[in-house]
Amino acid sequence: MKINPEYKDGIQLDAYREIKCLQELRHPNIVQLNSVFTTKDQTISLVLEHLPLGDLEELWKNKDILYQAPDVKAWALMLSQAVWFCHANHILHRDIKGSNVLIAADGTAKLADFGLARKFADPGRAMTFLVITRFYRPPELLYEATHYSAKVDIWSTACVIAELCLRDWFLPSDTDAGQLSIVTETFGTPTEESWPGVSKLSKYVAPENSNKTRGRPMSWWRERLRLLGEDGVDMVRGMLRLDPKKRFNADEVLNHRYWTNEPKPSRAEELMLRIEMGKAEKRKREDERKRGGAEVESGRADKVARKLDFGSMRK
Amino acid sequence: MSKPSSRPGAAASKDGDICPVCKSSRYLNPNMKFLVNPECYHKMCESCVDRIFSHGPAPCPIAGCKYTLRKPRFRKQTFEDLKVEREVDIRRRVASILNKQESDFTGLKAYNDYLETVEETTWNLILGVDVDATNKRLKLWEDAQRAERHSSVNRPSALQGDPSAPSESAHVVLKKGNLQRKVQTAGNAKTKTTAKTDSSNGTPEPAAHEAGAGRTDAAKKPDTGFSFAGLKAYTGPPKAKPFDPYGGYDFAFQYYTLQPDYTVEWLAKPKVDPENIGGGWDIADWYGCAMFDAFSGLGVFIGDEVAEKERLEHVSGDGEIGTRRAADAAMVPTGDVIMDDVF
Repeated sequence: MKINPEYKDGIQLDAYREIKCLQELRHPNIVQLNSVFTTKDQTISLVLEHLPLGDLEELWKNKDILYQAPDVKAWALMLSQAVWFCHANHILHRDIKGSNVLIAADGTAKLADFGLARKFADPGRAMTFLVITRFYRPPELLYEATHYSAKVDIWSTACVIAELCLRDWFLPSDTDAGQLSIVTETFGTPTEESWPGVSKLSKYVAPENSNKTRGRPMSWWRERLRLLGEDGVDMVRGMLRLDPKKRFNADEVLNHRYWTNEPKPSRAEELMLRIEMGKAEKRKREDERKRGGAEVESGRADKVARKLDFGSMRK
Repeated sequence: MSKPSSRPGAAASKDGDICPVCKSSRYLNPNMKFLVNPECYHKMCESCVDRIFSHGPAPCPIAGCKYTLRKPRFRKQTFEDLKVEREVDIRRRVASILNKQESDFTGLKAYNDYLETVEETTWNLILGVDVDATNKRLKLWEDAQRAERHSSVNRPSALQGDPSAPSESAHVVLKKGNLQRKVQTAGNAKTKTTAKTDSSNGTPEPAAHEAGAGRTDAAKKPDTGFSFAGLKAYTGPPKAKPFDPYGGYDFAFQYYTLQPDYTVEWLAKPKVDPENIGGGWDIADWYGCAMFDAFSGLGVFIGDEVAEKERLEHVSGDGEIGTRRAADAAMVPTGDVIMDDVF
């Protein structure tokens, strides 16, 4: 790790942030920092706990892993608890995404990568708006606000939950401008009435009347996030309000009726079993593919001797 | 029939390929299948089973076998050696009734004693020692276990019954078929003899001891067949806790209460700054943060903690105290590093 003369510590900024935050935070759903040590060649090593089962992004991308509404609820709950714990300790994570939520051997999800985390800002002090991976970036950061709050993490959390349900990206785009357009398309164009103070943000351009969108109807939400159910959709919509002041905070998320209503979130062991089964399935399939096309499952040609193919032997 | 068996090539497979009941051989019927019944383990061919047992229970056709067999229990044998087949069946049955695990006991000693009792019981059944008494004890234990698991279901009356009437339930089980009277008398005689051996030294020592203890305690506790020292009481499945969205964490403030607003001169500007409003920055968040920073050290006594730590290190007698303390010091970020906030 190189030494950066700009900082007195001589540590790279993300490593410094990570060490600083993880030392403070002890929670079952936050990755545990076991120790920090340096070596002679000026590298810093962080010893984190071992989380072998991949992350939430891998999880929804691997179609062999089958999961249901209770499983989504369990993962969403663990993530929300981790986010709440960070915020209760006055820490902004600022990089919540599926690939930063890792899964431990016992099936619990753990929030990791505190490389962009920081403390809540003091009054009048600006923070950088270039944080959070684009798909998960809330509108106030797209408008380049420099005075934002913990609500940015809530938006990202909701995006992760929605992704789990969709098994696809929730709000994908190629550029920051594209991200803004997909957000307004989904949620409607923000105006001074719906979001007081939005016009003061540096990148905000007042929309012309013809350009205004009204956002997706409720039926669109219900249809896309069917796995969450009525309560879940209500919660996710509360977490995805354009105006950060109206958006849920972490307390409101955890006190939402979604968690207490049926179905109950599944236990960690069940989640672990699902993941293990899915991975075993995938491995099996890959092995078969390696063995060369595998056997034809069933069909008329089953009993017929296969034609010998010497084509592959020719070079 | 003697013709194929006299042929030299067929001699080796002679026993296995001729049905002892109908004497037909595989030579004449290549699809012949042999079945056994786990009562007496006498082998016979499928067509014999169909012929004899299709109309309900019938005595075993092998001469000298006193068992009554039923058709549904006939099956193909798994092991070539029928003794092994029988032993596996018995072990399976005993294991399904005496099914405790090491975690159910207070210690390894208790668990090993238990395993020894299980093995003695199994061998009693295999070698035919005290079969009735052992079966009775297994039955009692099974009932007791079931009653314990499903406490809502009424306890079987057999448990409350007088333990001094031992062969009552055993006879009910055996009272089937046309041999019932014989079996009953034979059973009575047997239980008498087994009772004798039991009191002398027929059963292993711990089991006999426990059986004796069970008999003395009979006034207080119903007889459960077995009793194991060091067996933990069954507590039932753990109850689900009420849902706590915070996962058991609580950040209640002990030393201060947070006001909704504070009037401080230098905070007047950021409060009304429109940029703050649009971006979502909330002064209430910062109040909480600042108050926490100011007061969270209250109630933490570093002196005590250091003393405690030193005491622990002293107790463990660690030679590397110095280096470890240095490492600890390196771990804790020193408080006096003032960094410009560049974000």
